[in-house]
Amino acid sequence: MLKRLLYLASAVAIVIGLWGLYDRLTAGHANAAYGSYVVWGFWVAMYLFFVGIAAGAFVLATLEYVFDVALFKGTGRLALYLTLVTLGAGLLHIWFDLGHLERIWKVYLQGSPSSVMTQIVWGYTIFGLLALAALVLTFRPAQQKLLKPLMALGLPLALYLSGAVGALMGVQAARAFWHVGLFPVQFPFFSLASGIAVMLGALGLFGDPKNARLPQQLWTLAVASIVLQIVKLYFLWADFSQSLYGGVPQNIAAVNQVMFGQYGWAFWILQIGIGSLLPIVVLLTPGMARRPQVAGWMGVCILVGFAVARANIVFPALTVPELDALMTAFQDPRLQFAYFPSLTEWALSAGIIGLAIAAFLVGYDRLPIAREASTL
Amino acid sequence: MHAVTSSATLPRFCLPNFKEEEGMPVTTQELVSFIVAGAPVGTPEDPLLTMQEDLQRALKKQVKDRRWVMALDLRKCVGCSACTIACIVENKLPPGVVYRPVMEEEIGTYPNVTRRFVPRPCMQCDNPPCVPVCPVSATYKRADGVVEVNYDQCIGCRYCVTACPYGARTFDFGEKYTSGAPTQAGIIVGRARVEVYETAAGYEYGRAWERQGQESPIGNVRKCHFCLHRLNAGMLPACVTTCIGRATYFGDANDPDALIGDLIGSANVTRLKEELGTQPKVFYLL
Amino acid sequence: MSNEITRRDFLKISAFLGGAAAFAGTLNVAWDMMTNTAEAAGESGYALANPANIIYSACQQCNTNCGIKVKLVNGVISKIDGNPFNPFTLNPHLPYKTLMQQAATIDGGVCPKAHTAIQTTYDPYRIVKVLKRAGKRGENKWQTIEFDKAITEIVQGGKLFANVPGEENRVVTGLKELYALRDPKIAKAMADALPPILAEKDKDKKKQLVEEFKKKFANDLDKLIDPDHPDLGPKNNQLNFSWGRLKGGRSDFINRFTRDAFGSTNTHGHTTVCQGSLYFSGKAMSEQFAAGSFTGGEKFYWQADTENAEFVVFVGASPFEGNYGPSNRVPRITNRLAEGKLRYAVIDPRLSKLAAKAWKWMPNKPGTEGALGLALIRYLIENKKYDEKFLRNANKAAAAANKESSWCNATWLVKLDDKGAPTVFLRGAEAGLATKETIKDKDGKDVAVWKVSDKQFAFDPLVALVDGKPVALDPNDDKTAVVGDLVADATIKDFKVKSSFVILTESANAKKFEEWAEIAGVNARDLEEIARELTLHGKKAVCDIHRGVSQHTNGFYNVLAWNTVNLLLGNFDWKGGFVRVSTYDVGGGKADGPFNLSKLTPNKHNPFGLSIIRHDAKYDESTLFAGYPAKRNWYPLASDIYQELIPSMGDAYPYQIKALFLYMGSPVYALPAGNTNIDILADPNKIPLFITNDIVVGETSMYADYIFPDLSNLERWEFTGSHPSMTVKVQPVRQPTIAPLIETVKVYGREMPISLEAMILALAEKLNLPNFGPNGFGEGKPLTHMNDLYVRMIANLAFGEKNDGSDGVPDADADEIKLFLDARKHLPKTVFDPDAWKAIVGDKLWAKFVYVLNRGGRFQDYAKIYDSDKVANKYGKLINLYQEKTAKLKHAMTGKPILGYPTFIPPGMDVTQNPLPDEGQGFDLSLITYREIFQTKSRTATNYWLLSLLPENFILMNAADAAKRGMKTGDRVRVVSATNPNGEWDLKNGQKVPIVGKLKVVQGIRPGVVSFPLGFGHFAYGGVDVTIDGQIVKGDARRTRGVHANAAMRVDPYLKNTTLVDSFGGSAVFYDTKVKVVKA
Ligand SMILES: Nc1nc2c(c(=O)[nH]1)N[C@H]1C(S)=C(S)[C@@H](COP(=O)(O)OP(=O)(O)OC[C@H]3O[C@@H](n4cnc5c(=O)[nH]c(N)nc54)[C@H](O)[C@@H]3O)O[C@H]1N2
Ligand SMILES: Nc1nc2c(c(=O)[nH]1)N[C@H]1C(S)=C(S)[C@@H](COP(=O)(O)OP(=O)(O)OC[C@H]3O[C@@H](n4cnc5c(=O)[nH]c(N)nc54)[C@H](O)[C@@H]3O)O[C@H]1N2
Ligand code: SF4
Ligand code: SF4
Ligand code: SF4
Ligand code: SF4
Ligand code: SF4
Ligand SMILES: [Mo]
Repeated sequence: MLKRLLYLASAVAIVIGLWGLYDRLTAGHANAAYGSYVVWGFWVAMYLFFVGIAAGAFVLATLEYVFDVALFKGTGRLALYLTLVTLGAGLLHIWFDLGHLERIWKVYLQGSPSSVMTQIVWGYTIFGLLALAALVLTFRPAQQKLLKPLMALGLPLALYLSGAVGALMGVQAARAFWHVGLFPVQFPFFSLASGIAVMLGALGLFGDPKNARLPQQLWTLAVASIVLQIVKLYFLWADFSQSLYGGVPQNIAAVNQVMFGQYGWAFWILQIGIGSLLPIVVLLTPGMARRPQVAGWMGVCILVGFAVARANIVFPALTVPELDALMTAFQDPRLQFAYFPSLTEWALSAGIIGLAIAAFLVGYDRLPIAREASTL
Repeated sequence: MHAVTSSATLPRFCLPNFKEEEGMPVTTQELVSFIVAGAPVGTPEDPLLTMQEDLQRALKKQVKDRRWVMALDLRKCVGCSACTIACIVENKLPPGVVYRPVMEEEIGTYPNVTRRFVPRPCMQCDNPPCVPVCPVSATYKRADGVVEVNYDQCIGCRYCVTACPYGARTFDFGEKYTSGAPTQAGIIVGRARVEVYETAAGYEYGRAWERQGQESPIGNVRKCHFCLHRLNAGMLPACVTTCIGRATYFGDANDPDALIGDLIGSANVTRLKEELGTQPKVFYLL
Repeated sequence: MSNEITRRDFLKISAFLGGAAAFAGTLNVAWDMMTNTAEAAGESGYALANPANIIYSACQQCNTNCGIKVKLVNGVISKIDGNPFNPFTLNPHLPYKTLMQQAATIDGGVCPKAHTAIQTTYDPYRIVKVLKRAGKRGENKWQTIEFDKAITEIVQGGKLFANVPGEENRVVTGLKELYALRDPKIAKAMADALPPILAEKDKDKKKQLVEEFKKKFANDLDKLIDPDHPDLGPKNNQLNFSWGRLKGGRSDFINRFTRDAFGSTNTHGHTTVCQGSLYFSGKAMSEQFAAGSFTGGEKFYWQADTENAEFVVFVGASPFEGNYGPSNRVPRITNRLAEGKLRYAVIDPRLSKLAAKAWKWMPNKPGTEGALGLALIRYLIENKKYDEKFLRNANKAAAAANKESSWCNATWLVKLDDKGAPTVFLRGAEAGLATKETIKDKDGKDVAVWKVSDKQFAFDPLVALVDGKPVALDPNDDKTAVVGDLVADATIKDFKVKSSFVILTESANAKKFEEWAEIAGVNARDLEEIARELTLHGKKAVCDIHRGVSQHTNGFYNVLAWNTVNLLLGNFDWKGGFVRVSTYDVGGGKADGPFNLSKLTPNKHNPFGLSIIRHDAKYDESTLFAGYPAKRNWYPLASDIYQELIPSMGDAYPYQIKALFLYMGSPVYALPAGNTNIDILADPNKIPLFITNDIVVGETSMYADYIFPDLSNLERWEFTGSHPSMTVKVQPVRQPTIAPLIETVKVYGREMPISLEAMILALAEKLNLPNFGPNGFGEGKPLTHMNDLYVRMIANLAFGEKNDGSDGVPDADADEIKLFLDARKHLPKTVFDPDAWKAIVGDKLWAKFVYVLNRGGRFQDYAKIYDSDKVANKYGKLINLYQEKTAKLKHAMTGKPILGYPTFIPPGMDVTQNPLPDEGQGFDLSLITYREIFQTKSRTATNYWLLSLLPENFILMNAADAAKRGMKTGDRVRVVSATNPNGEWDLKNGQKVPIVGKLKVVQGIRPGVVSFPLGFGHFAYGGVDVTIDGQIVKGDARRTRGVHANAAMRVDPYLKNTTLVDSFGGSAVFYDTKVKVVKA
């Protein structure tokens, strides 16, 4: 039932996405809502969100393939597949975000290694290939022995890359809100948390109820989620309190923007409420974590929270003027600090997400991905 | 302000196809004396001409031996924003793209109050945070100090925008000011006939960039480049020449005789956000 | 790129990431080298430095008309910069002889609006065809109509709007009928018969004289507006041609049509909306003594030569944001300011950009400028810090002896009436110095002369005391110097007299220095510091005043006071002092050739009669005199009374105007209480035919019956003259730079773009008017195209002002002529026809003609603008400290004499000189206005580039006032006044536009005063939907943002349909309204 609904939803999303794609290709960025101040918008946030999941999901896959954790036997392939799907969704987002799509090859052939962005693109590409290879290997029992070293290689890469995503912003001395030492450190945690959440969701909602290990797996993932949510809240508190105590006006402005700005409700309701507190409370409630549907939906909640959290990392720093008086010096809809994604942005993103969900479902249904898990 | 002195001959002030004629000024020095002919030594010269003289001298040098810098005398800036607009028109900047806004602040309380105007071009940082972040080396610091964007190389990722501490970079979304205008030719002039001014070529980096489809510079990040294309044609940057306050100075910091040298060496010089270590090459005089 | 720096960056990043890519930076270096070599080797590829892509012209985004350099690529304007030949953009400017190639790479400085003129011209909303009203006035419904048909309708008249409900039977009088009196000789005879009627004081005798007039002209009485009032003139006067912005060339067209051909006296400009009382006090002070009385006063004013001044007091002037204009005045201030050679004070309730850099900013109460002027006068006199030597020069010879070029009447004796009030100058005969005799002149005719001992005057001379003894003097005598006593208070024969200087002293002493300061609401010590500083720089201290001084109900006297401060400083014509404008003649009159336009008007009409605005006329002399107050004010001292134009028509006083032409003006938008004009314009019975020339459907043209499209300033010709502060003699030429974007029509068989000129030519053709057509300039010399006139005017300019041609410009050589043609190859024959032009100009002048156009006009070389310590282009005449001519006039509303010397009248009076009660009724804030450099009134609302700098204006309020009202920046507030209690514009088309805008709270404005910058709050101008030929042309909301509070400005309670006025100098009053600001 849920699957059918999701198929339908993703089909609709893909249709919407096609319109978005058409608009993006014909009008370029003209119909995007970001501007030159909030220069990175929803697509970049979605990119961060998805590649974060990808890295996290990969780490989960290592539970089976590197660390041979018995409980997670049979989830590795699913995790790897999720890695690829989310990575794809992430990279598509960032690709469409480029001013010149057709020049993406330059990053590969003429990339500047000094740029964290190049490092990330290269890294994620290698990472993606690696995950793909690993996935393929899981289907080739003959070459199983290659799997472990490959996965072992991938693990630090995944951690490094998720850190690098943080560094992408953290290295920027210009943006006080980003330029905090802890920044890149936080990202691997976020990645892991979102990887776990996606597994929680996938297993909870689609896992084989007959699988005896499922409740235990869910419970384990739930506990990890709770811990990581608490860590996440701690980071948030650390970030915000540091910013507020530090007294750097830019930081205070950014924090205020997040908490009490135009989209403060998203922070409180989606990021904190639905994304962290609700899952913590629900999953802590005895018995709840073991109920697949509940656990699955909590995974989804955490992901929603993360999506908002990513946005709340990207935008606030950008909504604070580099120089105060810039705001009124030259005025244009593209030079504003208020930002809300446009129809095109939503549409294209919906399309990509629809595509990802469809890919997941198709993979789940048609490829022997989850089967292994359920047959065990 | 420089004054006419009887100093030695300065380089030729002319275009390549300049034609010599009996009695006509050949060097800028002569041109200037010509302007004030009969006027006593010490008669003022428009700083624009002084700087253009300086420019001619600098252009004789190798690129690597020049060091373009700008100085903004805030005592003289009247906040007219002619520079902002001249730059926009010169470089055919679309809506939302601006290289040199002029910021205004009110300082003090009534009746002891004043206003200050601070133009903000690209600082052409010697240590530019925008450069290392570029994934494709599309932006880089030139030997003459200008931080350039190679439009053909730029993929439009906007990473550099987030890196610049001065908000000096903006993205070209490919918009037109007149895009929503009615096209009812025959009744009014209509959009079709006026669009020409928006699609006309800009000449950044010495090339004609027509605004068409999604071709560069659409989809690129853009910024002030000290009007390299004008410099190469022997002309001062557009914001400099139009500066009605004559608050904008420009020249080769390596030239000891240049007007700019007097200014950036003076005691009342400061730079924006010096603490970031960006080493701006735009100086402010207070 | 410096490798060092890359390495640093790289280290920073790799330190963080653990040293990923060791080869960072190398790629960058490779790129860098590539671009550098490419650039070094390649062509510059810059089309805009090519002289063949440049046409030099003149800006008109504001009325300064700076020189511009229009850079074109393939016939499209790419960029506009300053014309370096023109001193408005470079200081010193390039020598006139500079080669075009050199000039091509030198751009002069121009303000932001100059650049955005591209968007004024390439405005999608510009109209291209004649529009005829298809709905009620103001309803914004139009139909396009063939040019010829429109002309025919206007000339023939009839039921032109039968299709409009309510106007089915309205018959419009055509111009044919208004062109009643066609014989110039009869007109002349009638005009000549009028003065005795006017001069007659006795009512009955006057009537008698009118009857005689009627008898004499019995055959032509039907051609008069009202035979019982012949002084109203012929019906021709019922055609009125008015304008907002007008420059040379086009002014010749309008005057030739309206006055010389059609014979109407009603041609009026917009001066009084602008800085009227500056001009008319200038006129009063420059009246010259000739043949015994004062005449020939110039409508002009002086400004400071800031380029050389050491200390300037700017009062109500805004040279950094407005004025004439930022491009030329700013560098002449900032350069020396930064060098410490100039310091200045600013008297302005608002902290203008100028004030922001001032040594002292003194925010005064609006309208108290006169009090401040008198305070300074008092200070200078009391402390004997005036230029005594200069002031004592009683005539030209004395001035010359003292190395002065101008002189004043400070020492002349003025008679007092029995109450001790000054009247007119004492004359030699009255003083017993001169005896009148009658002698025969060389033709044997009897003429009167006045003999003073061995000297003989052709008039009764004036008198000054010299060492206490009365001496007869001729102000223009350049041989015998008279150095008078400044202080004279005496009785001579039967006359009590005082010197002008004493009269001034007494006026200034009416209040103590501190009292004057208190009236103005300023600190007396600050004022004294300014006063002291004024005395420390000799003739290099000067006061520069503008609208903030003149646009008050007391504007005329405010200006007189400040001009008089300069007079006491004796700085007229001096470097760094008070200077005047100077322009090259284009009319050909000075050199009498090659095309003396005044002689090229073969059949000149003689327009006569009272103008609709009753200017240059005395109420008490007219046949309309009916006691005081008059129905509306009369303006014997002023002209171009913009705010009286349409309201007078509304009242049909003194008569009805049947056809109103309005060129490039928008009284509805521009005037204070301009909304009053809407009420009149919206009613077709008041002004039966209303025609405008406009480039878009503007706030005033939306009420027109017909709108004729026009060429923009980048498409047309004009001779733009200069402004008072410019010490260089110039004459910039505006010329077509692109092919017109509007329709081409045929007039007199020739093709031309629709334009003001095309409209006038076509009307002339249809009416068969003299001075136009195939013989318009005389037998065989056609005036059938605008270029027939303009080409001649350019030729005059090129020829110069000397009869022998020695004042001509250099000849363009072959290369320059080629350049001239190359740069214009994209222009169609309708606007550029070199062969035809050459045929008019003649081979000999052609090369000079080209030389002028190549440089965008004619400009004196910088080397010639000074005459040692003085400016070369001098005023050089008598300056009236005391104005006899003024003193002889009576105020039409009070019947009282008009004072001829500086005095302080409190601001905020109605036209009958009664104070307004508003403040007592809770209107607690003074509303003033100003211009931001980013906007003008109407033209720039379409300039999207400028709108990025300021998309919407605001109401400016001091933080203290805002706090009191609980208001903050960004609040939407409404401005209401006693005469606009709802705070709205009623467009009389069912729409109301609220006077609501955003509040901007600042420290930089005097508490109790609110202000707003002009140029916003449009309610037409392409900002709203209009219907043309049944199609809706969608408006662009970007053009209508912000607030225009002119409608909140006070309506005069006596006149009821127009703003408050300066009833002396004619100014429309922008700064004397009391308002309330409430949350919207
Ligand atoms: N609030 C406020 N109001 C002011 C002032 C102020 O300081 N504050 N200043 C006042 C001053 S100083 C002045 S001079 C007046 C000016 O007042 P006006 O002379 O009446 O106004 P302009 O804006 O110069 O001209 C307006 C008309 O000319 C039309 N126009 C523009 N370009 C062209 C063209 O090329 N050809 C033709 N035929 N028409 C054209 C416009 O569409 C518009 O309808 O405004 C006054 N109004
Ligand atoms: N940007 C721009 N420039 C223009 C024009 C334009 O439309 N836009 N128009 C041109 C024209 S037509 C003109 S006439 C000139 C006008 O040029 P200016 O007269 O110099 O300019 P304004 O802004 O009208 O007013 C001058 C100053 O008077 C101040 N002021 C207002 N009320 C009072 C008062 O009661 N007392 C005193 N002491 N000061 C007062 C204002 O704050 C302002 O700073 O500008 C010309 N230049
Ligand atoms: S100001 Fe910004 S864009 Fe310019 S060089 Fe510095 S960091 Fe780069
Ligand atoms: S936007 Fe262009 S210049 Fe800027 S970082 Fe990206 S590729 Fe480099
Ligand atoms: S130097 Fe050129 S590009 Fe830079 S702000 Fe000035 S005009 Fe613009
Ligand atoms: S053009 Fe000159 S005076 Fe005007 S804002 Fe720019 S720097 Fe300041
Ligand atoms: S001051 Fe500016 S808008 Fe006015 S004429 Fe000069 S350049 Fe044009
Ligand atoms: Mo004006």
